[in-house]
Amino acid sequence: MTPAPSTGAAPASAAARAREPARGGGDAYEDVLVASHLTRRFGDRVAVDDVSFHIAPGEAYGLLGPNGAGKTTTIRLVCGLLSPDDGSIEVAGIDVTAGATRAKARIGYVPQEVSLYPDLTARENLAFFGRLYRLSGSALRARVDEVLELVDLTDRADDRVDAYSGGMRRRLNIGASLLHRPELLVLDEPTVGVDPQSRHAIMESIRALGSSGLAVLYTTHYMEEAERLCDRVGIIDRGRLVAEGTRRELVARVGERDRILLSASGSLGSFAAACRSMEGIDSVDVSDSTVELLARDGRLRLPTVLAAASSAGASVRSVEVVEPDLEAVFLHLTGTALRE
Amino acid sequence: MTAVTLAWTELRRAARDRTFLFFVLFLPFMVILLIGVTTSGFTQERVAVVQADRSAMADALVAGLDAAPGLRVVRATTRDAGVQRLRSGEVTAVVLVPAGFSSTLQSGGSVVVPVLSTGEVGSGGSTLTTIRSVVARQAATVQAAAFATRSVSGTFDQNHARALALQRESPTAGVRTEVVDSASSYLPLGFSYSAPTMLVLFVFINATAGGAAIIQTRRLGIFSRALAAPVRPRDLVLGEGLCYLTLAVAQAALIVLVGGLVFGVNWGNPLAATVLVTVWCLVGTGAGLVSGTLFHTPEQASAIGPAVGIAFGMLGGCMWPLEIVPAGVRAAGHLTPHAWAVDAWVTLLSRGGGLSDILGPLAVLSAFAVALLGTATLRLRRSLTTA
Repeated sequence: MTPAPSTGAAPASAAARAREPARGGGDAYEDVLVASHLTRRFGDRVAVDDVSFHIAPGEAYGLLGPNGAGKTTTIRLVCGLLSPDDGSIEVAGIDVTAGATRAKARIGYVPQEVSLYPDLTARENLAFFGRLYRLSGSALRARVDEVLELVDLTDRADDRVDAYSGGMRRRLNIGASLLHRPELLVLDEPTVGVDPQSRHAIMESIRALGSSGLAVLYTTHYMEEAERLCDRVGIIDRGRLVAEGTRRELVARVGERDRILLSASGSLGSFAAACRSMEGIDSVDVSDSTVELLARDGRLRLPTVLAAASSAGASVRSVEVVEPDLEAVFLHLTGTALRE
Repeated sequence: MTAVTLAWTELRRAARDRTFLFFVLFLPFMVILLIGVTTSGFTQERVAVVQADRSAMADALVAGLDAAPGLRVVRATTRDAGVQRLRSGEVTAVVLVPAGFSSTLQSGGSVVVPVLSTGEVGSGGSTLTTIRSVVARQAATVQAAAFATRSVSGTFDQNHARALALQRESPTAGVRTEVVDSASSYLPLGFSYSAPTMLVLFVFINATAGGAAIIQTRRLGIFSRALAAPVRPRDLVLGEGLCYLTLAVAQAALIVLVGGLVFGVNWGNPLAATVLVTVWCLVGTGAGLVSGTLFHTPEQASAIGPAVGIAFGMLGGCMWPLEIVPAGVRAAGHLTPHAWAVDAWVTLLSRGGGLSDILGPLAVLSAFAVALLGTATLRLRRSLTTA
């Protein structure tokens, strides 16, 4: 994919954050998205619990959390597909609940699954979704051609979607949300099930869209995607936003601690117990044949850790020391590893 | 606008579905042909003719029998062969045209045409009556020719030809018999029966099978994605309804057109037929939308929907006339909308009825349409807003 043409939006600098909306109809706003104290329950289960965050124009915001953490529910609340039980959402200064039609016209929604007609061509699919956003005639045709170019599918525009590869479908899935030149692009785990090459292409294109001034809300449970793509990250677990900030800010909360990943067998419980009593080890997590430690100066602790493994009757097959990242932040904040 | 966009897109997809096209463009007409041909001969009784006189007058008598309503002539070479066919039930009667039939009549003598039958009860009685009327009709021309030959001028053959011509030109007074009891009248048969009943059947079946498209669209996430656009749930419900109504109207119009042009069906009073087709298409639309909200997978809708439609069609008189089934089954059939639609078509096509004659069935069908469309709208809207 190639970058989107500039929408003329300002970069996410403090000076430029206050601006008029790109199209008429909304009030002046600082942030493209403001979610305040969002709560949504399904029966007794609280799927989203008092979640607040905001996204500035041109900013890419990542919601990072494991499956079932509340990411998709948050996305559906933002897009007006669900109503919050408590709290409010404003998109481009428009309340999503009260002014749903106007607010939705400013959002481009990329669902988790490829939501396209498989028996229509790419061009027909884009024309369909364009019409839903009130585009028509020559303006629609021109915009469809632009988006096809944008997602690098011009050559296959008249092929049916069911003849496409998974990566091509994902690109078209994103393209269908760009037809109406949204101010906020909302992507719900758009790389699930995508091969590495296509994932790289998708990530690059989203980065390019963000740099062109589009605000991006991106959910993922892949830590590396959040690190690579997002200006700020919100960590969500069990419906609650447990932390948010830039990567640097979040890692600072862990205290620059390293993760030590040991692949081992034998008495892992005894080994974990021994690790918990060690100085400099802040957290221990055991899963299947992996023991994950959060440690200050991890490399210096390795001899002690390996000796403890030997004493506890655990046989270590491999060791990896990972310097602080969002995975470590998640482990630190929730006590569990970020995994599918 | 959104509704039209959705309807147009769904119609475009339907037009590319070969299975769907088979059910819309091919199967209905095969079944119309099959049932129409099968039920065309129900009112004809077979009569064996043993013709010992090969004169023109004897040939005219046999032709008269063959042309008589309700009779179909088969040839037998001898009296014994005719009797054998009578005993085996192949024919209802055997007509023996005696040797010298023509010469005796031309010379002014009397001729007796023996007719063998198994009795005058049931169909045998009506067959004998028809044979008697045909023979009497020919005897009238013979008597007229003999009278003219004796009293005026010309040969017998000339006068007989003139008498036949006069008979053809003379006005006639016919009799049509209807057996009336509490629930039935004469049978609607042939293409006038199969074409409208297949219209009823296939509009409904294709609509219920088409429910699969709604389920597929929902499972693809199209509805959810559309609702993230500035689109209201009611626009999507309206769009799906518009799509199904268009398909139902197209299916009905095609059967009316092909039925009229290919099968020679007279669709009766145009206004009444149009109203009936419209109301039935609304019933089909409602059934299709209900199918799309009732089943969970497209496979369920494709398999169960038509099965339900066929069962309703059987109960409702689409496969065989309700006049021939027991009263209890007939009453049960009227729990389906199909029976009311078939009743209305029989009234229009077989009894020459008009709009006022089908107001009762139309009212019932309208109630079905309202109930189905209302249920479907509520269910579809709920599935969209809680998805």
